[in-house]
Amino acid sequence: MTLLDFARGPALQWSLIILVTGIIWRIVGALLLSSRKDLSVARRKSGLNDGLGAIATRSLPAHTFEKRIRFQHVTGYAWHLALFVTVLFFGPHILFFESLLGFSWPALPNGIVLFSAAVALAILIALLIRRANHPVQKLISNADDYISVILCILPLLTGILAFAHIGGRYETLLAIHLLSIEALFIWFPFGKLMHSAMTFPARFQAGTSFGRKGIKA
Amino acid sequence: MSALDSIAVQAEYETGNVVPLLHEIRHALERLLNGEDGTVIDMRSLPLAPGEEKRIEDALGKGEVHADLDALGPTTILETSYPGVWLITHRNTEGEVIGRFIEVTRFPSILESQPEDIRTGLTALGNRLAEDSA
Amino acid sequence: MRKDQNLGEYLRTQGVSRRGFLKFCSATASLMALPPSAVAQVAEALASARRPSVIWLSFQECTGCTESLTRSHAPTVESLIFDAISLDYHHTLQVASGEGAEEARHAAMEENDGEYLLVVDGSIPLGNPGYSTIAGISNLDMLKDTAKGAAAVIAVGTCAAFGGIPQAFPNPTGAVSVSDIITDKPIINVSGCPPIPVVITGVLAHFLTFGTIPELDHLGRPTAFFGQTIHDRCYRRPFYERGQFAHTFDDEGARKGWCLYELGCKGPTSYNACATVKWNEGTSFPIGSGHGCLGCSEPGFWDHGSFYKPISAGLWGSKETLLGAAAAGAALGIGSAMAARARKNKAIKESEADSS
Repeated sequence: MTLLDFARGPALQWSLIILVTGIIWRIVGALLLSSRKDLSVARRKSGLNDGLGAIATRSLPAHTFEKRIRFQHVTGYAWHLALFVTVLFFGPHILFFESLLGFSWPALPNGIVLFSAAVALAILIALLIRRANHPVQKLISNADDYISVILCILPLLTGILAFAHIGGRYETLLAIHLLSIEALFIWFPFGKLMHSAMTFPARFQAGTSFGRKGIKA
Repeated sequence: MSALDSIAVQAEYETGNVVPLLHEIRHALERLLNGEDGTVIDMRSLPLAPGEEKRIEDALGKGEVHADLDALGPTTILETSYPGVWLITHRNTEGEVIGRFIEVTRFPSILESQPEDIRTGLTALGNRLAEDSA
Repeated sequence: MRKDQNLGEYLRTQGVSRRGFLKFCSATASLMALPPSAVAQVAEALASARRPSVIWLSFQECTGCTESLTRSHAPTVESLIFDAISLDYHHTLQVASGEGAEEARHAAMEENDGEYLLVVDGSIPLGNPGYSTIAGISNLDMLKDTAKGAAAVIAVGTCAAFGGIPQAFPNPTGAVSVSDIITDKPIINVSGCPPIPVVITGVLAHFLTFGTIPELDHLGRPTAFFGQTIHDRCYRRPFYERGQFAHTFDDEGARKGWCLYELGCKGPTSYNACATVKWNEGTSFPIGSGHGCLGCSEPGFWDHGSFYKPISAGLWGSKETLLGAAAAGAALGIGSAMAARARKNKAIKESEADSS
């Protein structure tokens, strides 16, 4: 079995099994956690609006601190956008999703995807350097943060190298690219990358809880 | 004409190799004028789309010299419309192309008479004269 | 050609002029994928080349490699090269059969001990020696015996080079490649199913011309022919760069000759010379005819999944297993939530008991 066959076959299979099992485990586990019955009288009836409202307000810049965190905001949005374009709209990626999901969608021209991949990679490297040097960020970062960032950098880097045929034979580069994504899959449910599944439900939950207490989220 | 020839083949592919090749030829011509060695480009080493070889031929055009030689099958030597750029096509005795080259040179060496052949010819001529006088 | 003659002398006795010989050399250099500047070197080496003895063994194969070579074309440079070698044993082509054929092989081996070239096509079954025999001799024994005195071995075709179709899953005969058995001789792998005839003769020409083994890649293939991928040299490559793909074999993209990546083309991972040398006297190659590359020059090409599955697609796409994983995840989640609840209730009870 070649490295590429391994990366496309068993490694992909097992990493996906771990990814799916892990994500469902954590989501179901979190959903079923009991909370003690709130015996206080609700200030007002809270519901969908509060939850969605919290998702919206917390996704927008926080005005009080906007000046101080503008860099994170801009880079954060740009990085996520660039990542989605790269992952979801590159022709060969869509073929991968099609092989898994059974349906496909139109691709963007390679030039745009390559540009967005380069942007995503550059931002992530800049953020990693900043995290390692900024006194506050350094203080609040743990191994999870570094592992998660590096595991996001590797697929972008190896993907660009594979696309451009730089640094080795294509089949090796492609295999390394796949393996780097599989490493990401395996880490995903157990580290901070789970935020992609947890962020919005958590905001929703906070919104409804605050609403009950009469707080504007 | 075989049955295959009656199928109209559409060949409008473009690899983008034609223009770089013409640039390469231009540089080779400049080097030749500067007294440097000539250049030979093996057409077999170029990834060409269907129809592109023809397009290269058309782009180079036909010049003043057209020579045919018959050695292990026919070979055509054509000076293109750009003096110093020659198109050489070697064929085997069956007429199949066995090699195709663009040669940037003042005079393709394959046309020169070779010392070994001159020697053979000289001997033959000597023998003939000896026979005639005998 | 007499054995004491060199190729230059032989061609002159055949009435070939020096000019003809130079033409032959340019074609041969082109055949060997050497730069045109190497023609003088080729001419010098070829003029004094001696006629090597070649023994050709065919094991578990379909004769496609021999067909590729012999049906390539009528009198050509390649056939001149074949005039220049002494093909002493090839059981598809030779007149002798049975004992006579085997005698010819032994005679050639004795006469040219340590100097003959061994060409092998087909894989060797290790499962049972009876799976493939010639004159009652198993392929394994014949290969070992004949390779002993060879100067070098050329494994022609993917079967001989890497195991090929006989080795494809589940490999019923226990087929292996030449290099799995012969480890003490230089081996040149000329893979392909079949290999491009020009590539077979190009390698023979190299050995004939220089008497040496050409530069090889990590799989033992001559880099002159296997140094770049089909994709690297494909005329459709610009479409790949622009992201223009044929989605089916008869859509607009297919008609416009766009890249066949989505239709499973293995060009990006296949090393061969088809895109430049092409087939049938340089007429075309699979991609030129609108079909993706199968990757026939690569080890295990039968077992890399469907020929029509894109390279970037997973070799495994079973939704059932993923549904199973989701179910397992849900069970784990329910289990851990229940356990958490139990711990919590216990803690509450304990704290209530403490406070009361």
